[in-house]
Amino acid sequence: MDILLLKLTAVVYLFATGSFLTYVFLLKDSVSKLSPWILFCGFAVHTLALTIRFFQTGFAGIVEFREALSFFAWLMVAGYLLVQLKYRLTVLGSIIAPLAFLMTLAAFAFGADPGELPPGLQSFWLPVHVTLAFLGNAAFALAFGVSLIYLLQEHHLKHKKMTSLMKRFPSLESLDRLNYVLLVWGFPLMTLGILSGSLWAGTHWGNYWSWDPRQISSGIAWLFYGALLHGRITAGLRGRKAALLTMFGFCVVLSYFLLGDQVFPSRHGGTFE
Amino acid sequence: MKPASKDIVIVGMNHRSAPIEIRESVAFEDSYVREALGRLHGYPSIQEGVILSTCNRVEVIASVSDASAAFNEIKSFLTQQRAHRGPANLEDHVYTFCGADAVRHLFRVAASLDSMVVGEPQILGQLKGYYDAAQQAGTVGAILHRLFHRSFSVAKRVRTETGIASRAVSVSSVAVDLARRIFDRFDDKTVMLIGAGKMGDLMARHLQRNGVHSLMVTNRTFERALELAAKIHGSPILFEDFPRYLKMADLVIGCASAAEILVDAETVEKVLRERKQRAMFFIDIGDRRNFDPRINELDNVYLYNIDDLKGVAEENLSERSSEATKAEEIISEEVQNFGRWINGLEQVPTITALRQRFEDIRRKEMEKSLKGSLRELSEQQRQALEDMTAAMVNKMLHGPIARLKGNDEGEDNDETLYVAALKRLFDLEEK
Repeated sequence: MDILLLKLTAVVYLFATGSFLTYVFLLKDSVSKLSPWILFCGFAVHTLALTIRFFQTGFAGIVEFREALSFFAWLMVAGYLLVQLKYRLTVLGSIIAPLAFLMTLAAFAFGADPGELPPGLQSFWLPVHVTLAFLGNAAFALAFGVSLIYLLQEHHLKHKKMTSLMKRFPSLESLDRLNYVLLVWGFPLMTLGILSGSLWAGTHWGNYWSWDPRQISSGIAWLFYGALLHGRITAGLRGRKAALLTMFGFCVVLSYFLLGDQVFPSRHGGTFE
Repeated sequence: MKPASKDIVIVGMNHRSAPIEIRESVAFEDSYVREALGRLHGYPSIQEGVILSTCNRVEVIASVSDASAAFNEIKSFLTQQRAHRGPANLEDHVYTFCGADAVRHLFRVAASLDSMVVGEPQILGQLKGYYDAAQQAGTVGAILHRLFHRSFSVAKRVRTETGIASRAVSVSSVAVDLARRIFDRFDDKTVMLIGAGKMGDLMARHLQRNGVHSLMVTNRTFERALELAAKIHGSPILFEDFPRYLKMADLVIGCASAAEILVDAETVEKVLRERKQRAMFFIDIGDRRNFDPRINELDNVYLYNIDDLKGVAEENLSERSSEATKAEEIISEEVQNFGRWINGLEQVPTITALRQRFEDIRRKEMEKSLKGSLRELSEQQRQALEDMTAAMVNKMLHGPIARLKGNDEGEDNDETLYVAALKRLFDLEEK
């Protein structure tokens, strides 16, 4: 049942993607209000799928890689819908919707059986830690999208190329501010994610910090984003450079999320066990 | 013998024919226009002349005795204008119009069809300003007087009868539109206006209408800055001090007539550090370039000059094409009307001279006969003879004069041809 719903989610996300791209590239204003609603429908179906999954197995479906992907997409879409509510940044949807679609689609490429939760992960820390960490990363994913739009807008302005596409983009000032807001949200969430992970490790592995590859990599990412936030607050780091660093940071986090555990085997549970 | 002596010619360059570097090197400073008009008037074939010099165009409109001689004279006049800026071949950038084409061009300019931003209303005011200047300098006569007043009313017709103006975006609006892509809101932004050029003034007002509260004005002559600041509710700043205030400005408009770079990239780099990299928008809107082009290479700074704004303006080209066709039709009609008037200028004296000539012959022959062989005629008979000869002359002239007046709406050129022919056939040129 939940698998069927998940497939439906992917389909709705695909529709949302089409709608957003129609809005941005074919300049159809009529779909500007519709697109976020389609995405919201996808989100609702997605929520239902995750809820059913939770009640079927009794634990949150966030352990296996495919589940993690799906859960991450869900958080990201939720984050986008919140941003849309406050900032009316419909154009960001054209980045988030396809990402969400690809993530849910990719989820099917990996094992389908929920199975049993490994005993080591049977802890209340699991949903707390994963949700916090993923929320932080979802904020960074959104910041990545915002930065991408910033760079496009900036490029157009610098090179004096005026396309009607530009009219879809918000001002640089608001993009930069939103980028900052997302960083301000993402960084504490990431901090809490690492903290909760460390506490969990303390109770489970016996010590809070054991220089595990996953711990080291999150530590590095944390330092990077911390430095970025610090630069923004104190040193007037903004605009193009900030956008580039935001994108770079997320690429590193993402690639570690996708490949890290294969390159540096870790005791860290979940995704790749 | 030369053909019709009253030709209208235009020699000039605009945003399409010449890049800004060339245009600004030929541009006339306001204070210098009067003197330049005098110099222009000094050329032998120039009878009347008006100089038009805006950000987007430099043109000389003249009524001349010989078009081809006038073209050369005006070109050398323009070349002389930029002589101190080193040699450059203006020939590649200059367009020339003569007769009806010149009339059409001026009408199109006035109606803002030739503008960088089609339909923008500023050009008409500028045209009026330069016409007034020429009038004060005494270089305008009957022909240009008529031509310019016609062009003003053509512009008005185009504005009221087509949708060009309502859809038009002025250069200022294009700049405001760009500023909106950089800044979210204007009410917390500060504008600095450098120089007291007309475009800068308009630009600042436009920004104010869009929500800017804080405005600084500086000019090399502080009185002008004071004057302008009072007019647009800004705060005047001493010219020497403006670099110190630059860090407070989010939008900087350059419209000084000085032909030098007033703000260079190094200054802006320093200013940016002081304002923690908050974005700045430089708009170089004057005839001369005031801002270092390298400014645009810095992060978080955007520099647009008048040519860049042109590119943006192209955006709304497609929208207005049908309205433009309508406007072009109005202009064609008006060009024809004006053509008729200017031909009439030739015809009326020709017709009068022709009548006069026939009348003179009639009178001379009558007198000769009445003093000679017809001496014995009674008063009544004399009167009859008088009436008969007068009627004869009238009947003979009726056909040619009707044709000359162009009553038989045939080909347009015929009338001027007849004028020339009659002048030669009856030796009407003297006097």
